[in-house]
Amino acid sequence: MTMIPDRNFDHLVQPTRLHRDLYIDPELFELEMSRIWGQAWIFIGHESQIPEPGDYFTTNIDHKTPVVMIRDTDGSIKVLHNRCGHKGARLVVERQGKVRGAFNCSYHGWRFRFDGSLLAVPNEKGYADTGFDSSDPCYGMRPLAQVDHYRGFVFATLSEKAPALLDWMGGARDCFDNLCDRAPEGEVEVAGGVTRYEHQCNWKFILENLNDTMHPMVVHQSVVQAAKQFISTLPEDAVQQRSEAEIIPPFGASYETFENSGITGFNYGHHYDGGKTSIHADYSVMPEYHEAMVAAYGEERTREIYAFNTHNVCFYPSLTIKCAVQNIRVIRPIAVDRFIVETWSFRLKGAPDAMLQRTLLYSRLINSAMGMVGPDDLEVYRRAQEGHQSPAGEWIEFHRGYGTDQQLDDRIVGGGTSDLDMRTQYRAWKDYMQGAIFDGVDQ
Amino acid sequence: MTQRQSIEDFLYDEAALLDRPDLDRWMTLFTADGFYWMPAVEDQVDPLNHISHVYDDRVMMEIRRRNFVHPRASSKDHRIRCSHVIGNVRLIQEHDDGSLEVGSNQHVVVDYRDEQRVYAYRGIHLLHPDGDTFLIKSKRVNLINPEAPQRSLIVYL
Repeated sequence: MTMIPDRNFDHLVQPTRLHRDLYIDPELFELEMSRIWGQAWIFIGHESQIPEPGDYFTTNIDHKTPVVMIRDTDGSIKVLHNRCGHKGARLVVERQGKVRGAFNCSYHGWRFRFDGSLLAVPNEKGYADTGFDSSDPCYGMRPLAQVDHYRGFVFATLSEKAPALLDWMGGARDCFDNLCDRAPEGEVEVAGGVTRYEHQCNWKFILENLNDTMHPMVVHQSVVQAAKQFISTLPEDAVQQRSEAEIIPPFGASYETFENSGITGFNYGHHYDGGKTSIHADYSVMPEYHEAMVAAYGEERTREIYAFNTHNVCFYPSLTIKCAVQNIRVIRPIAVDRFIVETWSFRLKGAPDAMLQRTLLYSRLINSAMGMVGPDDLEVYRRAQEGHQSPAGEWIEFHRGYGTDQQLDDRIVGGGTSDLDMRTQYRAWKDYMQGAIFDGVDQ
Repeated sequence: MTQRQSIEDFLYDEAALLDRPDLDRWMTLFTADGFYWMPAVEDQVDPLNHISHVYDDRVMMEIRRRNFVHPRASSKDHRIRCSHVIGNVRLIQEHDDGSLEVGSNQHVVVDYRDEQRVYAYRGIHLLHPDGDTFLIKSKRVNLINPEAPQRSLIVYL
C-alpha cells in the first residue's frame, strides 16, 4: 500500500454515478496501481508461449513492475520479478526468448535458476565473513505472491491474500471453458503475433466500453453504412467480396438485439454480454471446422458449445476475451491518461487454418490501431478524457436499468442495454480501493 | 524518359494523392486484384496466418474510402494532412509478366489531432505497366518500427 492519504471512495463512486477524478487524477491512478493492479489476479501470458524449459515471456504486471514468465526445468510455470537480487538490474529485456542454463545478469554476472533462486556469484570469496547469506531469498529473483493458470491462461498476483484463481474468476470462468472447447482438441495456443495499440486516455474507458451496448450504433454507424453501401453495389455472384465485407455490419446491431443479449456481472468486477446470443452469433460455421468439432464432441455437445455465445468478457481489470472470435485484448496501464491495448489471437487446436485466418482478420480490421472500428472507439474515449477536464460537471452517470438488476446465486443479470456492467465493475473498484477486498476471504 | 524517371514520377503522383489525402483517386491506381499490406513484424512472410497492421484488398479499400469521408466517423472529424518524401528509388527486379518490383524509402509526416507524427518505411511496390504509366499490383509498407505500439492511423501511408 502506498502512503497516499485515503480518499472518500463512497463519495467518488455512488450507486448510479462516479466522479470525474477517476479519469484525471494522477494520485488516484497511483492508488489504483497499488490497490487494484497490486491485489487482483493479472493476466500474464499463455503457456503455449513457453513450451520448453527456459522459454520466457516478459511484461509489466502493473504500470511499471517488470515480471518474467518462464518454463522451469520440471515443466512448471514460474512468474518472477524481472530484477537481479544484487544491484536490482532488469535481467531479461527481450519480450520473449529462451534463457540457456540460467538467468545471467548483464551487470556483475550473478546467475539465477529458472525458479529465481541464486545459482552463482562471481568471485564469491569477497563475501566471506561479511554476513552475506547467498541462500537468503532476498538475493534471488523474487517470485510473485501467487501464480496459477487455467486452461493455459497464466495469471499472477502481488497479493498474498487473493483467493484462489478459480474462486476469483467465479462463474465467468465458463468463458475460458467455452473458448477452449471451441477447439476440436480442447486447447488453444497463441498464434499469429500481437499488435499493440496506444490509447491516450484513462485505462478504464475500454473496460466500460466493452459491454456498453448503447454506443455501437452511434460510434460505428459510419463504417457499418460504408460496408452496407459497398455491399449494395456488388453483383449477386460476388460471394467472396460479400462474405469479406460482412464482418462489419454486426457492429450496427439494433438496440433490441443488444437488449436481448443480456449482461451478466460477477464478484470482483467481471462481466460479459451475451450468453444465449450475441452479435457474434450469426457468423457462419465453416463446414470443415464443424466436421472436426462433431468428430471430437458429437453433434449435441457441439451445438451446446456454439450456443454459449458471448460478445466481450471482462476479467477485471487486465483481460477481455472474445470466445466466438478467439482473440483477447490485454490492458497494460502506463499513466492516468495513457495505456496500451494488446490484441492477441489464438489457434483452435485441431481446427482448419481458415479459423485462425478469420480470427486474424477480425483482430486486424476491428481491434488494431489501423482498424476501422477501434479508432472510432478511442476517439470517443479521448473526447471523454478531454471533457472530464471541465469543472462544469463533476459526475458521470450510469442509471440505465438501475433497480432492475436481478441478483442470482453467484451473479447479477440484467437487460443488455443496462448499465449493470458499470455497477459491477465500480462496486469492485471501490472494494479494491478501500483496501480490504480480500480480508475474510478463504484462501 | 528513362524507366527510373517514369517509376519515380508514378511514386510521386501516388504520394501526392496520399498527401491530401484523396483515397478515392488513390484507389484507382490499383489493379482489380491489387492489395496494400503493412506487416506487423519485420520480414513477415504471411499476411493471412499472422496479424498485420493493414492488409486491404479492393473490398476493404472500398469500405475504408467510404468511411473516410463519412460525416459521422468521429475519428475522421479531425483534419489530416500528410507529407511524403521519397528517396532511394530502385528497380529490384523485373518479373516475367513485365511487372516491376520497386523499392523506395519513404518518410511521412502526418498531421492529425493537432499532433505531428513521423513514420518511416521501406516500400516495395509491384508495378504493372499500363500504357505510359503503371497500376499497382501490390504495395508493401515495411515500417521501421512495426512491432512498436501504434497510435490510431486512419489513412494509408
